[in-house]
Formats: sequence, C-alpha cells, structure tokens
Amino acid sequence: MKLLSIMVISLLSATSVFAAEEPVSFSRDVLPILSANCFACHGPDEHERQADLRLDLEADAKKLRDGSPAVTPGSPDKSSMIERLFSTDPDTVMPPPKSKRQLTPAQIETVRKWVAQGATWERHWSFEPITKPAGSLDDLVRAPLAAKKLSLQPPASPETLVRRLSLDLIGLPPTLDQAEAFARDPSPAAYEKLVDELLARPQFGEHWGRMWLDLARYADTKGYEKDLGRTMWPWRDWVVNSLNDDMPLTQFTIEQLAGDLLPNPSEAQLIATAFHRNTLSNDEGGTDDEEFRTVAVKDRIDTTMQVWMGLTMGCAKCHTHKYDPISNDEYYKFYAVFNQTEDADRYDDAPRLAILTPSQRAEQERLQVAVKMRDEAVKQAAASDAEKTTVEEMKWKRPTDITAMAKSGANLVTLEDGSILAKGKLDNEDTYTVTLMLPAGKHTALRLEAIPTKLPDGQLGVGRKAADPNFVVSELTVEVVQGETAQPVKLANARADFAQDGWPVTAAIDGDLKTGWAVSPRQRDPHVALFDFAEPLNFTAESKLRVTLTQNYGDKLVLAQFRLTASDADPATLSPRAESPQTQQTRNELTAAQKSLNDFNAALPQLPVLRELPAGKQRVTKIHKRGNFLDLGHEVTADIPSAFGKLPEGTSPNRLSVAQWLVNNDNPLTPRVWANRVWARLFGQGIVETEEDFGALGSPPSHPQLLDWLAAEYRDGGWSLKKLLKAIVMSDTYRQASATTPALREADPRNILLSRGARFRLSAEVVRDQSLAVSGLLSLKQGGPSVMPPQPSGLWRSTYNGTKWIDAEGEDRYRRGIYTYLKRTTPYPSFMTFDAGSGEVCQVRRIRTNTPLQALVTLNDPVYLEAAAALAKRMVTDAKDTSGRAARGLRLALVRPIRDEEVTPLVRLQQETEKSFGSVPDEAAALIKTTRADPGAMLATEFAAWIVTASVILNLDEFLTRN
Amino acid sequence: MNLLQDLTRRHFFQTTGLGFGAVALQSLMARDSRADQPLIVKEPMLAPRAKRVIYLHMAGSPSQLELFEDKPELQKLHMQDAPQSFLEGKRFAFIKGVPKVLAGQFPFHRFGESGQTMSELLPTLGKVADKLCVIRTVHTEQFNHAPAQLFIHTGTPRLGSPSLGSWATYGLGSVNENLPGFVVLLSGGKTPDAGKSLWGSGFLPSVYQGVNCRTTGDPVLYLSDPAGMGRPLRRKMLDTLAEMNAAENRRSGDPETLSRISQYELAYRMQTAVPDVMDISKEPQHIHDLYGSKAGFISPAESADDPRVLYKGDDPTFANNCLLARRLIENGVRFVQLYDWGWDHHGSSLGESIDETLPIKCQQTERAIAGLITDLDQRGMLDDTLIIWGGEFGRTPMMQNNVRSELKKGYIGRDHHPHAYTMWLAGGGIKGGLSYGKTDDFGYYPVENPVSIRDLQATILHVLGLDPHRFSYAYQGLDNRLIGPTDEGRVLTDILA
Repeated sequence: MKLLSIMVISLLSATSVFAAEEPVSFSRDVLPILSANCFACHGPDEHERQADLRLDLEADAKKLRDGSPAVTPGSPDKSSMIERLFSTDPDTVMPPPKSKRQLTPAQIETVRKWVAQGATWERHWSFEPITKPAGSLDDLVRAPLAAKKLSLQPPASPETLVRRLSLDLIGLPPTLDQAEAFARDPSPAAYEKLVDELLARPQFGEHWGRMWLDLARYADTKGYEKDLGRTMWPWRDWVVNSLNDDMPLTQFTIEQLAGDLLPNPSEAQLIATAFHRNTLSNDEGGTDDEEFRTVAVKDRIDTTMQVWMGLTMGCAKCHTHKYDPISNDEYYKFYAVFNQTEDADRYDDAPRLAILTPSQRAEQERLQVAVKMRDEAVKQAAASDAEKTTVEEMKWKRPTDITAMAKSGANLVTLEDGSILAKGKLDNEDTYTVTLMLPAGKHTALRLEAIPTKLPDGQLGVGRKAADPNFVVSELTVEVVQGETAQPVKLANARADFAQDGWPVTAAIDGDLKTGWAVSPRQRDPHVALFDFAEPLNFTAESKLRVTLTQNYGDKLVLAQFRLTASDADPATLSPRAESPQTQQTRNELTAAQKSLNDFNAALPQLPVLRELPAGKQRVTKIHKRGNFLDLGHEVTADIPSAFGKLPEGTSPNRLSVAQWLVNNDNPLTPRVWANRVWARLFGQGIVETEEDFGALGSPPSHPQLLDWLAAEYRDGGWSLKKLLKAIVMSDTYRQASATTPALREADPRNILLSRGARFRLSAEVVRDQSLAVSGLLSLKQGGPSVMPPQPSGLWRSTYNGTKWIDAEGEDRYRRGIYTYLKRTTPYPSFMTFDAGSGEVCQVRRIRTNTPLQALVTLNDPVYLEAAAALAKRMVTDAKDTSGRAARGLRLALVRPIRDEEVTPLVRLQQETEKSFGSVPDEAAALIKTTRADPGAMLATEFAAWIVTASVILNLDEFLTRN
Repeated sequence: MNLLQDLTRRHFFQTTGLGFGAVALQSLMARDSRADQPLIVKEPMLAPRAKRVIYLHMAGSPSQLELFEDKPELQKLHMQDAPQSFLEGKRFAFIKGVPKVLAGQFPFHRFGESGQTMSELLPTLGKVADKLCVIRTVHTEQFNHAPAQLFIHTGTPRLGSPSLGSWATYGLGSVNENLPGFVVLLSGGKTPDAGKSLWGSGFLPSVYQGVNCRTTGDPVLYLSDPAGMGRPLRRKMLDTLAEMNAAENRRSGDPETLSRISQYELAYRMQTAVPDVMDISKEPQHIHDLYGSKAGFISPAESADDPRVLYKGDDPTFANNCLLARRLIENGVRFVQLYDWGWDHHGSSLGESIDETLPIKCQQTERAIAGLITDLDQRGMLDDTLIIWGGEFGRTPMMQNNVRSELKKGYIGRDHHPHAYTMWLAGGGIKGGLSYGKTDDFGYYPVENPVSIRDLQATILHVLGLDPHRFSYAYQGLDNRLIGPTDEGRVLTDILA
C-alpha cells in the first residue's frame, strides 16, 4: 500500500506541470473535482438533481439559500459547500457516504483556497476561446522545464533524426542514402528540405490516413453475425489522396459529413460521404432494420462529437449528461440532423455509388448503347409482327369500363392500350380482381396477355420481382355479374404460348390453389394464355365480367402488366399467339445485352454513400426514452447543442451546416482536439492524455499554452496538417535526443514535461511495413481493394458466411498494412496483437501494450520470417565477410552507424548456428523453404544461419521502437 | 545473463503496475497506460468466493422448455393457436401471424436429493444436479444473436466494451505469466455470432483480450517456431537478442526495453507451457472416460461450411475443450470461456431442430460438463471455481411458423425468447441444488425472482471479489462498468452459499 500511494502521488504531480504556489484556477484545479464528485447530483441532469442546487452554474452556486449561499466569494466559513465538505457528520457531509465518492484532504483544501481567493468562475478550459500565446513552441516547453531546473536535450544524431522523421511522417524507414546524405550535411536547411520531401511523398497519406481510419471505424466488412464483405476501399483511397493533397480540415470535414449536400457534388465529394457509412449493418436473420438503422445514426453522432469535439455524447442518449453541457433533448436534436439519410440497414447497403475506372466507364457506355439498339430493334420487330397479325387480332375485342383492384393494396392502373399495370405496394401474394364490360353478344373465349414491363433494375419482366420476374397465376376464375348477383363461368380449356415445367396453364383452372401457370425461364418475354368458355356467353348491356387472378405462390411472383380481351370466334380457330421467330430472336438479343450490362454493373465496386431523403420524405424525430427506439417521446427539431455556439448565419440545421459549424474558426474544440491528436502521434502521448475526452472529466492539459499555440497554428495556418506537422518537427523539442538517465527519469518519470525526445514502440502497421521495407520486400503499390497477406488458416468461421481468406501471392503479399483486409469479427490477428482495433467503433487512440504475444508475432508470423530471409539475402549480397554482413544488416535496419562491438553477438550467433546446422542440414533446408528464401550459391547451412541472424535484427527493441 | 535477469527483476519491483487497493484512485491509475505488469496478480476488492471462472456459452441459445422448464400447460395447448397475450405488442425474430403452442418435446425427471427438474436429455448432468444452482428466470433485452451475446458478455448490446473475461483479468490479473490470463476455446464449427468482440478488451488495453487457444494448428497463433528451428537454436537466438537489447537499454535508459526483454522470455516459456497444458493425451483414461474426451480428435464439423449437418452425438470436440478448461485453470488461467455453436434450433432448415439436433448437442456436451464438475470437485477445485452455463436468450413456447406450420420430424423449432430462460451456475460461492426463480405456466415470463443480465453480471463479479458497482474503468469521460451506468444490477445474495 505504501508503494502504491507513493506512485499515486508522483502520478498526481506528474499530470500537471504547475508549481504548487500558484493561485488556484477554477477550470484547471477546481472544476475537475466538482465534476467528478458533485455534478452527478448538482449538475446539468435535472432528473438526478438534489436540493435544487447546481454547482455547474455560478449564479446558482452563489445564490442565497437557507441563510447562506453554497459559495460565498472570499469567505469559506460562510459557504455551506465548504462547511459540508469538511463535515464529519455522515448526515451532512458531502459527498454523502452512500454516493461512494470522497474528496481527499488535498482536494478539499483546493476548493477551500479557491473560495478564499474569491471563487472566480470560468468555463471548462477546453470550451474557452483559443488565444495564441506569445513565443515559439520551444519557449512554451522550455518555461515549465526551467521551473523544474530542467532543459531540452541536445538534438538526436542525424541518422536517428532521419529515421524518426521518416517513421513519423510516412511510417516507413528512410533509405540509407537519405540518412547518409543528411549525416554529411545536418544543417537546418538540409533538415527542412528532408521534412518537405517526406511530406510530399505519396506514402504520407497512407501513414496519416491510418489514424483517420481508426477514428472513422473503417473496415472491409459489415459487422455483426454474418459480417459479409462490403466495398469501402474507394473511401479509404479518398482519405489517402486527400491527406496527400493536404486538403484543409475544413474541406476534409465538410465533404465527408455532407459532400452530397454541396452544390453539384463531384464524384470524389460523394465518395467522401462514405465516412459515415462505415457504420455496421446487421444482416442477421430476424433483425429489425429500423433498430439497426437507429443504432447506426447514433454511432454517427457519437463518432462526430468524439472525433471533432473530443466529447462523449453517448450518455445523453438516455439522460442529460451529468458532467458536460449536453441535455437529453439536445442529443435528439442533433440526432435529427443525421436522421435524414436514405440508408436503412438494408442488405444491399443502399444507397451506393458505383466506382468506375475510365476504361470501365467506356465499357459501360458501350453496353448501354448496345441495349438501346436492341431495344429499338425489338420495338420495330413487334410493330411488324402487329401488322402481320392484324387478322388474328381482329378476332379479339377490347373490353371497356375496366376497373381493377389488388388485394394487397397495390395500385392497378388501366393504360390506354387496355392493359393493366401494377404499381406501388408489393406483397408476397396478391389477387387481382378485374371488372369489365364487353360488347353485347356472344363470347367464346378469354385471353390473358402477360406484357413485359420495365422493372426497377432497368430490365424487362412479366412479373414484378426484379430479381425473378416470373409470375404464378394459381387460379383464374370468371364470373358474370349482373347487379348484385354473380354467376360463375365454367372454363373448358386453357392453352398458352409457353409454360414452365410443372406449371402448365391448365393448372390455373384446376381449382387447386397450390398449382398454377408460370413462365420461367422466359419471364422476360410476352406470354399469352387462352381460356375457352364451356358455353358461349351471351352478353347484355347490363352484364359485366369479373375476372379474378389469384396469385398465391408467395415470394412476390405476381403479374406486372397484363391485358384481358375476349373473342366471339370459334375457339378452334383461336391460337395463343407467340411472337414471330424474328421478334423472338431480337428479344433474346435484347435480353442478352441487358444481362451483359447488368452483370457488368453488378460486378462494379459499389460504395455505400450518404444521400439525403427528399423534402417530402424526411423522418420525424422523437426522443427515444432511455435510448429505446421503440419508446418514443416528444418530437424535436434539428439543432446543435446550445452550449457550443451557433450554426453559421443563414443556414438551416442539416449535415452541411453542422460540418461548417464544427470547423468554424470560433469553435475552440476542433483545433485543440486535432492538434492534440497529431501531437500524440509524434510524442507518444497527448498534451491532453485523454485524447477521447476534452470534457469535464478528461485529464487537464500538461501544457495548456502549448496546446493553444498548436491549435491556433493549425487553424490560422489554413487547417493544413502538413504545415502543423512541419511546425512541430522543426522544433528543438521534437529533435531532442531520447536517451534518458535515472536522474531525468526521476524528475520527469513519464516524460510529461518533454525533458527528452519521445521513445515508443511503433504501431502495428509500421512494425510490419518497416520489416518489409528494410528487407526489400515491401510493395509500394497504392490503393484498390484490400489484400490478404498470409494469416493462419481456419480463423474465418463466421456463421452463414462462406467467404474465405486466401493468402495472397506476389506483390499483394507485401503491401503496406493499411491495405490489409479487415474483417470486423475476425480481424487480422497480428495487428490486433499490436493494439490495432477491429473497426467496429471509433478508436481514438491505441493504448500501447508490451506482451509476449507480440514477441511471437515478430518471431514466427510468416511475414516476418519471409522478411528475415529477404534481409539475410541483402546482407550476404551486399557484404563479403561475416562481420561485414552482420554490420550491413544492422545498418539497414537501424539506419545509424554501427560500432564494431555491436556486431560481435550477431557474428557469434551466425557462426555457431551455421555450425549446428552442419549436423542437421535438413533443418537448414526446412527453414529456407518455410521462409521462401533463395540461398543462391551459398550453402544452405550458412544461409539458414543468416536468416536466424536477420530475425534477431528484426526483433531488436531499437528496431521496433522509434527513438 | 545474470546481470540481465537482475535488471529485469529490479525493474519489475520498481514498477507498481495497476495496483488495486486504493479504489478511489483507480480510474487515475487505469489511465497509466505504461503499467508494465498489467497481468500481475491483484488483490480483490472484496473477499472472493471464487478465484477463477469457466463460462460455457451455448451459442444460438438452447431451449429451456426442453431442458429445464417442465410446463404441463403447454401439453394442454399443444398445436393450438397461441393466445393473444403471447403475441400482443411483441417483436419476434421469425414468427409471423399466429403461431401454434408447442409442448415440450422430451420428458422431464427429478434429479438428485434436491430434486432438480431437468430433461431426460441431461442424464449425466442430472447426477451432479445437487451442485447446480438453476436460475429459471433470466431475462434479457435483446432478441437477435449478436446483440444478445454482446449484452451478456460485455454489458452492452453494442460493440466496443470489454468482455467479462477481460474485466476479470483486468481486475484480478493472472497467476501464471507463462499462459494467457483469459483463454477462449471454440467448438461447433463456427465462431459465435458476434465474433471476436465477445472476448475483446473493448476500451481496456489489448493485453486483456481473450486469447483463442485452438485445438488444431498452433494452439496460440504464431506459437510454433518455424520448421528447422529447434529449441536450442531458439534459445541461442533469444540470448543474442537479449544481450543486444540489454546493450540498447544501457544506451537509451528506457525501462520499456527491459520489459521487452522479459516479454521475449515469457514468449519462450509460453512456447512450451501452452502446448504442454493443451496436450490432453497426458490425461489418464479414466479422466477421458469421465468427460467423453478423445485426445487428438479433429472433427470434420469444425472446418465445414455448414457444420450442423455433420453433428454427431459422440463428437468429443466440446468434451476435449472442457478437459482443456480444467487443465488451464489448474495451471493458473483466470478465465476460460467456451463457446459451443449450433444451438439455434428454429426448425427451419436441416440440422437445427428441437427434436433431432438438440439431443445431439446434449450428447456432445452434457456428459462433458458433468465430468468437468465431478473432476473439479474431486480435485478440490470446485469450491473456488465458478462455472456458468447458458445461452444468450431462451426459446419461445410457440413453434416457429415462418417456414412450416405443421409438425414435421427434424423440423420442429422455436423462435428467440428474451423474456425468461434458464441458466445455471455452479461451484465457488454458489448454493448447489438450488432452483431459483419461477416462470408462469407457459414459461413465458418470470413470476418469482426475475434475474436480469445485469443481476447475473453483478453476481459474477461479486463472487470474484470485485464490487460490481465500484469496479470501473475511466474512458471517454465515464467510469465505465460491466453492469452499465445505472444501479439496476444487484447481487443475487439468495444464491450465494
């Protein structure tokens, strides 16, 4: 326990660099205490509030109540809050014992001192406007260091600096040429040139894009149970390109949140909106799509606030936030902004955007033209058929006064040509009832024509279901209606131009609802069925004919467009007209052309995007009581939380205005959050260590002025990430050597004061990319679909999902980590071991760990073994003798010059290993085979020993670390 | 090497790690992401009743109405339209319109001195009925697999929160540093529906994520050295690495380098410790007989696209995992999580019926589970090992009707039912032979002692000596807890021994 409390005290002192004698600051010293201990009952949440007292509002705290205010400026002894903090009576002490919260004596003293000093109120520090402090970045680091009698370290060696810069800016090690050139001329100008070169490299966007992909919960699958694949990589490529182009954060924000709402959006701006389509879709059987749509919308809100504002909005889903100024109402007002997009947890992830290369676009146009030509040809052929068949057609009379009703409620529209088109509602089953008038006189037969019509997918079909436009007429019945009475008409015979196997047209008049007439596989052609009346009908002007088409098969196999006609000719002379062979041929060609186009389109990558619902179809947003989407409360209108400024003048609250508001120059949070995030990637920890929480409970900034300097630099420098990075990496603070001493560690144990250069383990992707780079295996191919480097077999076992991981061969085996396929429920294991996420939720930072499982990855993952073998090859090719080869390997990996004595252990290992392989040459051969190495002319035993030696190099702490 | 070990040891003692005594300051410490010994054994917050957990999750959710809940009223209404009260205002995953009531398909018996009501499908488990605390009134908020599994394992139906096993290893550490503290074993041919997030560490550091120990291939991923590298060579290689890393430490002064050296040493020891503990061929025959396990058996169902149609009653895969679970906890693993897939008995396609598949799944598991309880008991380990059994929800008293509404052999099924279902606990700190909670005559709702998922989670933490209301981790401005932000979850003191 003693040990523990010592650590706690040192931690406490380490989190703030302020000297103890300074006056107490409300926002820095007092507000965190009140937030953590008092606001739950005396804060923004009206449901939990006790004694009608709010300590988050100055006026309320200083208001006179029961004789004395909670806080009387300058008079702790007249402040009931102080009295109750000091109380030893369990009935009056605050916080009450049952809250299980307790202030330390030091905290109570801080609050007392603040009241004594006048109890000045401030807003929470991160909500205050940014003012750029005077001086340079380094001045703001040196001052607190000097207060502790510390100073910045001298710069790291040129080679170390080059390696640090290269790993930090592009996530790859420098080439030895770069390092040697800089070592020859380590002038400030040469350093700056190096910085500019690295920032201009296309690998920059890949490295910094990875940070954004974590925040954006990017993955290559949809998540949840089936976790099927989806195309998100065009958006990932958009991110990489945008960062390489140094797109200002303003534009980067607006296009991703609301690219579709910009005037005449470009394709790239639409692609950008896939940012918020990274949310999961739940394809599990029996799920309620609306439930998971609302889950996705909430995720978008939480992620938006988290990523730009550094605030957690999630709590306000169920109740008003206890610590930060976001009420339950405000949550759903903000929700209303994001609640208007078309996507709805659909299986096909609609709406989507087809992604085409220029050559694909040309091909698509060619196919479209082909379809159009065939379509014309069919029309012509049909017209010529019609002329030829006029004689036959003369035998058929069109009815008049047609009324048609569908049981499903679908809209049956009678067209000018007497045909009936089904529109609107589409149920699995339907029954159409058509009442019509026929000319007075004798009638012998009824004809049903199924007419191909254009379906939503652009193809023709006789049934309404685009995926299978077949129909099943389970039963066709005819009645003569006269006034109130209906007389069934007996049908004697049925004939059709075509019937599906097992679904003859006679089955439509057999009285059995389980059988019927269907037309697959010719469900895109016109069809005709004739039904002969058993006895000729004698029609009078008072009678009507009622035809009922029962379509009971289910699965939406119902007629799309049809026509009923009657004849007075002898049934023996009537035939179910088929099309002429020429028309049939032309129509087959049209079907084929249409299929080619559809197949082509279906094979295109389809990126889920945001699309706003049209004005008339916007959703009404109501509060979800306790977060439950089925338990709705009162209606709310779209808006932003009121504590954070206003939407831009003249805009209405939608995604576009919200995006503009987030990157408005008056918003202090966005630049602080982003500058802190960038800083944390370069220094291993943020100035605000809780990168995810800039609210009342987050950790206070170690260097508040430095943070504001960076935030102002970023915002006022045109929101340029590259400029911000350059400002940081040009500083003396960044360039310090990272070596430490016991004295330095004691003075600044966690390097919070920046008393030395940062030294920390590289991220999952960089660990991998670096090994591939120094071994020469790395492919720098950019963009495109994600790839599958080797992973152990048998890992993908998702339910109801037959997709497989197939180890890539060739270049794709060695692409950068950002291109590795990420399946949410089974992520690439070696990255997970190195603290990467699964892309299921917004990951603000990766908490670095150091575990034996990581050692197993870099020792045994095939990627690292193959890299070791390739590095071994470079070593033996580039140098002649054993120590020269060992030195070469070390130099390639560590970049810095290698001292002679450093080579000794490697030389010894290589020699002893070669010797021991000598007695088991099969093992040497096996190792070479596993690592896919080519020993060339070298003896297998010698070369295998070099692979082992290279593997040591790739596992060195210095190699895995950026220093 | 002596110098090195000395350095490492000194470093070890300088590091305080995530201590546990001062709970008030715990959130502050949790932010110390550089704690170099995250898995070091920590003192529980309360006197623990159990030191370790084996959680047997039947993914898909077994039917309580066939296994534990004897409801004669269902026999009376069998194949009649379900009453409106069953349907009004309810959402179902698959049931449409008015389904028929379905009687329990197998007879029930009373087992043990306590007379626990259990199915004839569970004859061996029945023999240890006096060890079980059968909770008949568990209810959940979710009725789809992935969200319901996430809810019971991570305390939220959404992604991003740590699993129970992660919380336990975060709170208590792990005894044997040569083995992972939290191990996951899979059977049934598929991963559970919500995937890896069920054993993910969520917002906790990744060191607390469950490690899936596999029974085919490397038991732990990348554990095996490459072909051609024997143990002496690996040792020699790691010695060279350590020597060079020690030199780096002298240059940089960074204690993290020493930590890295010790992680490589741990990895080396893990390379022998894990295969050793995973090797069930070392167990005597009478133990295999007890579990129904079979060393070296690889089931074709485990790699099939649709494993359900290959299920066989004598498939020992799950039994092997039960035996492994015992070996793992015996060797100091804190939390062993078994997932057995294939319990989603809708009756809508082949291999997922109440009448044919459920008996097979019972044969695969019930003897093994009984064996595990008996084995632990014989070794004196049952007293401080908590065993949990159950699915993510229950099954409806109505027959599922979206595909067929008549009874057909091999296709009798029930839909998802969140309102009441059965789970059981056994071992450390739990009253055996207890039947807790009562449902109505149809098994539809609890009528006595309803138990929420949060109650269950609170109780499990409590049994482990972690105060469910105070045990938390600060993230995104919240003190996050397994039992969620509200204080609804309560410890089920009635079931504690």
